[in-house]
Amino acid sequence: MGAAFVVTLREAFEAALLLGIVYGCLDRIGARDAFRWVTLGGALGLAASLAMGAAVGLLSGPLQDLGPDVVAAAIMFLAVVLLTWHAWWMQQHARAIRTDVEQRIARAQFTRRFWIAGLIAFVGVFREGAETVLFLWGIFSEATTAAGWGAVGGGVAGIAVAAALGWAVFRGGRRVSLSKFFTATTALILLLSAGLFSSGVGRLEGLGVLPMSAPVWDTSSILSDRSVVGSFLGGLVGYRSRPSAFEAGAYLAYLVVAALLVFGRRGRPTVAVEAPSLARRTSSIR
Amino acid sequence: MRRLAMALALGVAAMAAPARIAGAQPASGPGEVLLTIEKNRFDPEEIRVKAGAPFVLVVTNKDGAPEEFESHDLKIERVIAPGKTARFRIPALKAGSYSFVGEYHEKTAKGRIIAE
Repeated sequence: MGAAFVVTLREAFEAALLLGIVYGCLDRIGARDAFRWVTLGGALGLAASLAMGAAVGLLSGPLQDLGPDVVAAAIMFLAVVLLTWHAWWMQQHARAIRTDVEQRIARAQFTRRFWIAGLIAFVGVFREGAETVLFLWGIFSEATTAAGWGAVGGGVAGIAVAAALGWAVFRGGRRVSLSKFFTATTALILLLSAGLFSSGVGRLEGLGVLPMSAPVWDTSSILSDRSVVGSFLGGLVGYRSRPSAFEAGAYLAYLVVAALLVFGRRGRPTVAVEAPSLARRTSSIR
Repeated sequence: MRRLAMALALGVAAMAAPARIAGAQPASGPGEVLLTIEKNRFDPEEIRVKAGAPFVLVVTNKDGAPEEFESHDLKIERVIAPGKTARFRIPALKAGSYSFVGEYHEKTAKGRIIAE
């Protein structure tokens, strides 16, 4: 039961966290009407996960051997691009919101890009969705004994706890000040993306696109990335107990570049510059 | 569909059979290393390969449930459906130990590749 709980919690954690953040951001800029795009993206992600889960049992030959790996790597890099954009956007626009007008502007800007919020939800759910679906299928098929049903209970509880954590991020996000909320979520997203980018680069090593590089350090005896805490930190900030040179390098390089990109152009936010023309446009729409 | 799966399973069994009879060294085709998942365990649990030589790891899941073959050391992670065989092209490894697990049954499904 405990093992199944840890697996589903680990698999569903990232998706729950991302959904909590994206819903939270939309809520904070007053764009609740865009919630449906996130919900749609998440639902499509779930559907794609089910399809992928079924496909794993049907595919054969080179398609089976390469297909899922290439899709997994592509999804990781796509997630990195989307999340970096999200962090950049929040830092450039949403942070500056102080007045009602500014909130409306931010909302209008985001509404034109609602599909990106939906896409983040899709990618977040789909990334580990197929694995979760297959895992649950497995434990259901093994549920012939009391221990088997215990595993099913554990698996379901893992997803429930992940969902509760996502919900807590959303609810907690409403209690803190706006600037605190955006700073915290931006930092979280950047660390999470750095972990994803590093894993994606590692995947390229595994696929033979990049040469295998030796581990830079080995902390597996102190905190294994297979332990509960280790895998939690792995999902949250990309912790690895034996990262290769490429993985560690990619993590650092991403953090530096993304931090420059996101925090680099501080000071006068673009919202203030664009405010008059946009304010006119939004008021004429409404 | 069931027929196809049967044929596949038979084919896999046929391919795997000679290697198992051959005994200690599970390698079959040139550069292929066979690994089976049965009752949520790997067989064999320790694989010895030559360092510096790429090989193909052929993993067959003989259980009735899917298993996720995962190795942080080798940077691979893929779900193998029941009765299916997955092939992983492993690049030349430096001498050392590379662990792998069946993520869905981590307590029992553990093994390692030793490159020497």
